[in-house]
Amino acid sequence: MTVEISPIVLLNTERGEPEAAELWDAITDAQLADWEAEWVPETFKAVQKLHRRGVERHQWPQSRHWDWRAKVAELKGLLGAQGFSIMCGGMTQGMMTLDMGSKRCLLESQRGQHLIYVDYVENAPWNRKDLVNTEPRYCGVGSIFIRTAIEVSRLEGFKGRIGLHSLPQSESFYRNKCGMTDLGKDSNYQDLRYFEMTPEQALIFVMKGGSL
Amino acid sequence: MTLNLTEAEMKVLEDLSVKKDLSKTSLIRQALRLYQLVEVRVERGDKLFFEDDKTKEKAEVMLL
Repeated sequence: MTVEISPIVLLNTERGEPEAAELWDAITDAQLADWEAEWVPETFKAVQKLHRRGVERHQWPQSRHWDWRAKVAELKGLLGAQGFSIMCGGMTQGMMTLDMGSKRCLLESQRGQHLIYVDYVENAPWNRKDLVNTEPRYCGVGSIFIRTAIEVSRLEGFKGRIGLHSLPQSESFYRNKCGMTDLGKDSNYQDLRYFEMTPEQALIFVMKGGSL
Repeated sequence: MTLNLTEAEMKVLEDLSVKKDLSKTSLIRQALRLYQLVEVRVERGDKLFFEDDKTKEKAEVMLL
């Protein structure tokens, strides 16, 4: 498998300065090994801390059950699926899968048009404010993935249109930071809120600085 | 490669390109992705249905 690697930058919050990172247009065994050996135990420890602090179960991160190895295996060989990962400091900092073939826009102004659907996106546990009680180690992973989805959308001829269902802890990010339109809870998708981005919103997001 | 289409097929391709605001290449790429996805799911034993949004009536698409 040929993997295209693009240079990007994440903010190292400990040092307070940008750090060179890489965007991979794949999720390989290297990322899955990081997930299994580093992410899963860290997530487990973080959930244990939430539990001990008395945080109720429904407030624990819902992505704690995600099995990235199974997700990647499911998508293998499909033309309409694409995985991405972000590497920094010798470690996987985020993973994302895109559905490029089976979803259409729901927003009235672009109903029925093609879009890139962000199937799954996850930050490493040490980068998540909802999991760690301290500053995230790296900032920028979520924005870079949204920017990547927009770029894929443009390359496919979808003009930057993207869509996704958000876990409750990420709704504010998609609504406020990404400027996506909130179409409300989707009863066909675990009652998660569905967000969509128009070409105009994509342009604004990119102009604000979501560059690759 | 060269893709040979009949006049009727070309007309459908052009109409869909306009309707979906896509280039012909993008449209054919999308069609191929969808074809592959359906094939994989049907091979797995899944069924393909169309559902009427109002009546919720389902019609199975027979794929042989």
